[in-house]
Amino acid sequence: MTTQPTVEDLKVIAEQVWSSYLDVDGTSPLLPVAADKKVIDVTASVSVTGAWRGHVLVSCSEAAGKYVGAALLGIEFDDVAEEDVADALGELANIIGGNVKSLLPEPCALSLPHVHIDGSSGRYPAVTEVCHLDGTWRDESVTVTVLESTTDLAGAKA
Amino acid sequence: MLTMVIDDSRAMRLILKRIVAQLGFDVVEAGNGQEAMDYLKTNVLDGEGEIPGLALVDWNMPEMNGLEFVTAVRAEPRLRGMTLMMVTTESEQNQIVRALASGAHEYVIKPFTPDAIIDKLALLGLVPNGVAA
Repeated sequence: MTTQPTVEDLKVIAEQVWSSYLDVDGTSPLLPVAADKKVIDVTASVSVTGAWRGHVLVSCSEAAGKYVGAALLGIEFDDVAEEDVADALGELANIIGGNVKSLLPEPCALSLPHVHIDGSSGRYPAVTEVCHLDGTWRDESVTVTVLESTTDLAGAKA
Repeated sequence: MLTMVIDDSRAMRLILKRIVAQLGFDVVEAGNGQEAMDYLKTNVLDGEGEIPGLALVDWNMPEMNGLEFVTAVRAEPRLRGMTLMMVTTESEQNQIVRALASGAHEYVIKPFTPDAIIDKLALLGLVPNGVAA
């Protein structure tokens, strides 16, 4: 039986990431409750291949993406450019995805991050949702989602 | 001490740069292993530049990943003095063993606190014990 990540796992991982990089002084944690208005303007994702196959997505509003960029790059919110959001959110997905991967059966490999800043969350065909964490950070929506591929790779090759 | 910070994320390079800069280290940044090797070839192997004493190396990067970089550095006798620390999300035991067997001296898993990096540097004798961020 394969152990799947749970929303509780995502909460622990998110808390570690926020306390390390985004809420160092402990004043603006990621609250594990859905924002009043769930908005997905930006999505960064990493793919996992190997003994388990799927994707880990970090989605958020444009403002949350800029807050992430400002925090990680040490710049003012108003100075955060699109490329800053892409870099910072991609690294966030890399770190969260890597920690999700540590819960999965070995061996697995992690892809480089892909970032969609056009309001789409990307295309992930033939997947089922394993779990997701809806969060609120600085009054903005942030969601972490784990998707598992449902295609039978061995069957597809046959 | 001259330190290379090698990561494809500009944000992560900045985070690491802040930590080692506050220890008084000078920093050279590279966006992947190939960029780092190009710097070493131009400035150290073919030039007269200072050999970095430390490199903080991500694993998953385009062009040349961190493990390939560690292997390439260890294959060059003139770079024997470089201390290599992997700083990565790769946390599988066999990956850690691979990195250490390939020549990495230490291994830090993201997310990390500044103290986690400094503690590892102290273990390596690169900063005095008890130095906190």
